[in-house]
Amino acid sequence: MSYCVNCGVKLEDSLERCPLCNTPVINPNEITHTRSVPPFPKEKGQVEVVKRKDLAILLSVSLTTTSLVCALLNLLVFSGSLWSLYVIGACLLIWVLTFPAVVYIKMPIYISLLCDGLAIALYQYMISFNTASHDWFFGLALPITALFTAAAILFAFLYRKVSSSFLMTGLYFFLELAMVCVGLELLIEHYFQDPGHLTWSAIVLAICTVIVILLVTILSRSRLRNAVRRRLHF
Amino acid sequence: MPENKKSNSRTWYRLDLSAIVYPTLQRRDFSSVYRLSVLLKEKIDPDVLQKAVDIALKRFPTYKVAMRKGLFWRYLEPNDRSGPFVRPDVRNFCMPMPFKGNHRYLIRVYYYDRRISLEAHHSLGDGTGGMALLQTITATYLRLLGHTITNQYFVLDVNEEPDPEELEDAYMRYANAQVRPERPAEKTYRIKGTRESSHTFNVIDGIISVQETMAVAKKYHATITEYLNAVLLYSLLQKQEHDFHLRLRPVRIAMPVNLRRFFPSKTLRNFITMVYPSIDPRLGEYTFEEIVTQVHNFMRYYINEKFLRGDITTNAATKRNPFIRIVPLFIKDFVVRLFYTRVQDRNSSAGLTNMGAIKVPEDMKPYIERFDIYMGMPFSQRTNCAIISYEDTLTINFASCIIEADVERRFFRKLVEDGIHVTIESNRNFEEE
Repeated sequence: MSYCVNCGVKLEDSLERCPLCNTPVINPNEITHTRSVPPFPKEKGQVEVVKRKDLAILLSVSLTTTSLVCALLNLLVFSGSLWSLYVIGACLLIWVLTFPAVVYIKMPIYISLLCDGLAIALYQYMISFNTASHDWFFGLALPITALFTAAAILFAFLYRKVSSSFLMTGLYFFLELAMVCVGLELLIEHYFQDPGHLTWSAIVLAICTVIVILLVTILSRSRLRNAVRRRLHF
Repeated sequence: MPENKKSNSRTWYRLDLSAIVYPTLQRRDFSSVYRLSVLLKEKIDPDVLQKAVDIALKRFPTYKVAMRKGLFWRYLEPNDRSGPFVRPDVRNFCMPMPFKGNHRYLIRVYYYDRRISLEAHHSLGDGTGGMALLQTITATYLRLLGHTITNQYFVLDVNEEPDPEELEDAYMRYANAQVRPERPAEKTYRIKGTRESSHTFNVIDGIISVQETMAVAKKYHATITEYLNAVLLYSLLQKQEHDFHLRLRPVRIAMPVNLRRFFPSKTLRNFITMVYPSIDPRLGEYTFEEIVTQVHNFMRYYINEKFLRGDITTNAATKRNPFIRIVPLFIKDFVVRLFYTRVQDRNSSAGLTNMGAIKVPEDMKPYIERFDIYMGMPFSQRTNCAIISYEDTLTINFASCIIEADVERRFFRKLVEDGIHVTIESNRNFEEE
């Protein structure tokens, strides 16, 4: 057992530094002393994740009932158009969106984002039954939904695997904003068979480029980066 | 059995007066959880411990409960789910306790090497109630190992039906003063520290001798509690003075007082109230002797049956007010939380609790080395200090969620200066730094 040279307190065997003043413990006589069991375990505990079972049941039942009732009303009473598809699609969409929050909490974010994209596409497809043709869905809605879903998944990947600092997050955001806007305009032009030039998205692209270059500069200079972080911390 | 189940479904418990506040303050990264530990002399056998917990917990109906929400108040409901299960201890103990986790139990039992630890949500009861549960579990554990332990002091008879007085809200019985003394509140000194990442819990334990401390306290004409209170005030005053500050603020300690000392009650639920010994450095520089005198006089003046009765009457007034009672729970939660963060939490610079000398049945003494008590994660960035003694071992447990250990350092250095031998234990990890 050693004493802290700084504080004068006796230190328990397993301590390598004094917890009060951070001074390393050096005892020339006891370099290879046998360690007793440390007073605290090494393992860290995790707070238990709460299952929201009741909420999940309530949500599923209420959404299913709403869909069923509307379908029956549509079939038997107000059978003029397929209006119930709007409601059923919306219920399905809500259920899929809330699924990772209330039912399966451990679902990977990428899969839940993909499912969200698929659910949105499905809803749009259901809507297309009430419109004159399916063209707009296959030509425009589906590619745009796919574009946004891909962008969201990419964002999640970068945020989780590369860096989650707010400067880097800003960088991903503006990069993806530019890409999505360009993609959006190209898709719209393709749908209207007007393969022309970039117009409005070129402006977004230009602005985003300026911001991205700015952010890259800040990020590459550590002094600048730290100054910005200090001033903008929240 | 069916009758039992039926009667169980009819039982429920109102939260006692101070328990109302704790669930309101519940956050994702904070619960009012305290821990009591007992260090035995032999390694713990988890299977036997589990049996002991199952047997002992039946005697404590207000600890085998789940927290439920009503329209106006929360309440406790008997919990028949399996558990609570004993588990290996963790480094960052006193973790948040979600009401719906852990099979809805509001207690956790850990074992590590020779130590049994009980963590309980403060809404179930105070340290005295928790100590009764921990000692009854320990006694049952030792009995299962073949030792003979008598039922005495904190060890309750597990075969006996619980006394209704053990389950009562004793506040309401004694909150009958004819005047409600006002409680002045002012902003006090706050420690400025670097917050640790969430779910990190820094602990520094100091182990000292009761005899030695008593001798030093006597030199200052004070009791051990008064002396240690003064040392904590002294360290906080010094820290305030040495750190950067625009202006000085009073330094105040929130100290719970066990009301059972003044108002006879067997309750195992909360029965404490807070007193706030303080020093105002704006009045001038205090020497350590002056601080001890100030604390000594404060304790003598405030901690008596009359003043405390007034204090609990003030507390009870809000719960009795019919207008407050019919306000929906979510509005109450909002207001209480606001009041707590704006006023109550800023009203003290640190917490200090002294469980005092723990009595243990004579035939249990040979198996016990010492007790520990932790006040749990502080609500804001500060340090909480908890003191407990057993035989000649006095344990001072500091718990904080900030990186700096300035207060602890100043505290223990003062003890060393006064000639007390201090042994330090800690769960701080330096490898990550």
